[in-house]
Amino acid sequence: MEGSISQMSKVMDIKYGISATFNSAKDIFEAAGKVREKGYKNWECYTPIPIHGLDAQMGYPRSKVPCFTLAGGVTGFFTGMLIVWFMNSFDYPLIVGGKPYFSPIFPFPVFYELTILFAAFGTLFGMFFLNRLPRHNHPVFEHKGFGRTGDDKFMIVIEVEDPQFDDEETESFLKDLGGKSVTVIRETID
Amino acid sequence: MSAQAKVEEESGFDIQTKLLGGAVVGLGVGLIGLLYGLSSNDKSPFLGWLWGSSFWLSIAIGMLMLVMIFRVFNSRWNPIVRRQLEHGLAVFPWLGLCLLPLLLVGWLGGDKSGILWTWINPEANTIEAMSITTVSEDVLHQKKAGYLNLGFFTIRLISYFGIFCGLSYWLRKVSFTQDFDGDPKWSHMGMKISAAGIPAAALALTFGAFDLFMSLEYQWFSTMYGVWYFASGMRSALAVTIIACFYLSVKNRPLNGIYKQAHQYDLACLSLAFTVFWAYISFSQYFLIYSANIPEETFWYVIREINPNTGERSGWFWVSMGLIFGYFFFPFLYLLFYHNKINGPRLIFIVSWILAFHLLDLYWNIIPGREIKQGATVGFEARPVFGTYLLWGLFSLLGMGCLCAWSVMKSFTSKTAEIIPIRDPRILDSLHHHE
Repeated sequence: MEGSISQMSKVMDIKYGISATFNSAKDIFEAAGKVREKGYKNWECYTPIPIHGLDAQMGYPRSKVPCFTLAGGVTGFFTGMLIVWFMNSFDYPLIVGGKPYFSPIFPFPVFYELTILFAAFGTLFGMFFLNRLPRHNHPVFEHKGFGRTGDDKFMIVIEVEDPQFDDEETESFLKDLGGKSVTVIRETID
Repeated sequence: MSAQAKVEEESGFDIQTKLLGGAVVGLGVGLIGLLYGLSSNDKSPFLGWLWGSSFWLSIAIGMLMLVMIFRVFNSRWNPIVRRQLEHGLAVFPWLGLCLLPLLLVGWLGGDKSGILWTWINPEANTIEAMSITTVSEDVLHQKKAGYLNLGFFTIRLISYFGIFCGLSYWLRKVSFTQDFDGDPKWSHMGMKISAAGIPAAALALTFGAFDLFMSLEYQWFSTMYGVWYFASGMRSALAVTIIACFYLSVKNRPLNGIYKQAHQYDLACLSLAFTVFWAYISFSQYFLIYSANIPEETFWYVIREINPNTGERSGWFWVSMGLIFGYFFFPFLYLLFYHNKINGPRLIFIVSWILAFHLLDLYWNIIPGREIKQGATVGFEARPVFGTYLLWGLFSLLGMGCLCAWSVMKSFTSKTAEIIPIRDPRILDSLHHHE
């Protein structure tokens, strides 16, 4: 009912997904397991507190951020080596403190400092990349009750993009899971 | 008592007897070695004995520090792991006993009293730069004589072991007593003991490493040395903890279902952290001496790299490379991967690897040294990688290992403590620990 009214008032909007709220961490944890078993792929949980094990319950694999960290670290190590070799041994050979032009020993602090720096960059930007950040808005913000997921409500949103999504079936599925105030979220695109 | 428990207890008793037998054999051979060394003026059995004891001592010190660190942080995840470490702390008095023969030789050895630590005997020959002199005439000893003398050394050794034994006695007592009365005051007391104990034990282990190992070549000095011993002790203690907890948590053993993946993962992360820390300390020590390039300090690394008389690479060069790549790079890269930390057998492989290389690291630190040789270009020869010290050392290592394992087994089976601290205020947090 509510969905059809907003459709009339705003012509330029598209359906984003269907939300259902839950009252406790336990409820959403169980519901998330059922959504995963049902085979949904494009869906998300919004909770006011971190819930241990929810990622695994949703069927998420481990984060890929460590790959970016490792790649960043390895890049940093060899960048440091390249800098020292190029500056001190190749472009302008210079004897400092009676040490060789290039050796892995005296400039090692440069190698590992750059390893740490680039690993940190890899971690931060890898996280941004994988989370598709930065983004300034999100369709779920259109949901009037969304603010309560920062307070005392737990919400599951199944997106229209999901291959299994079906207006009626998904809605009744969420209701069967015990979800309250099942709502269609619309994204305005004006 | 069920029949099965009875059988287990009997087999436990049997293992203890075997361990005690191993200790008697290993230490007996080691002691015969010491007597032989005294009579033939051979340093090898003494070096071997010191090497053997340094290994078990480092593990015990690492465990002591871990228990105290867990206590001061009042951390939630580890009481079930901490209890296993507290059993490990039972070894300190026995380790003190193991070091006693070396001290006695210093007092009673007469003209051979400086056989292991040259500086004990002022009449002993030593090397100053490239010439042979006696300890009492060596200016580097004269300046250090206020510290490096037998009387003060004895007082220090006694206080180190007083600190280690005292702390481990009290830490065990507060934890084990809580099993019976459940009084939270024991947890607070444990925290207070640890807060005072960490600096005390840190000083004891630092100066202990100076006295026992660094003073073998008393002309040499490094302020990093104590931290190096701490870092390797932490690595090996974590390795032993991981192995022990894994062993205790397989099917039908008491920690099955209690010690979980999350605990193992956290211990493995600590292991990774101390792998990096060890590398940082060891490299810093090398880096500073390499950069300063003062002969007084560099000779220590020179004899670990080349034959000082010919300038050719010696066997120690390959041991040094082995430490860099085998004791740091390989475990470091291996432990970076999540699955290597949560998979029991994979983790057991790498911590066993770490223990083996820890033994090599101690060997590399203790064994190489300058042997006076008339006619040699520089007046001395560096001891080679292989020698009778390795053989004597393996016996001492085995004997002391059996003695330590026996005392830990005795603590485990003495029924003075539950398998986990059941009345620790943090026990539920620890049981429900989650990644």
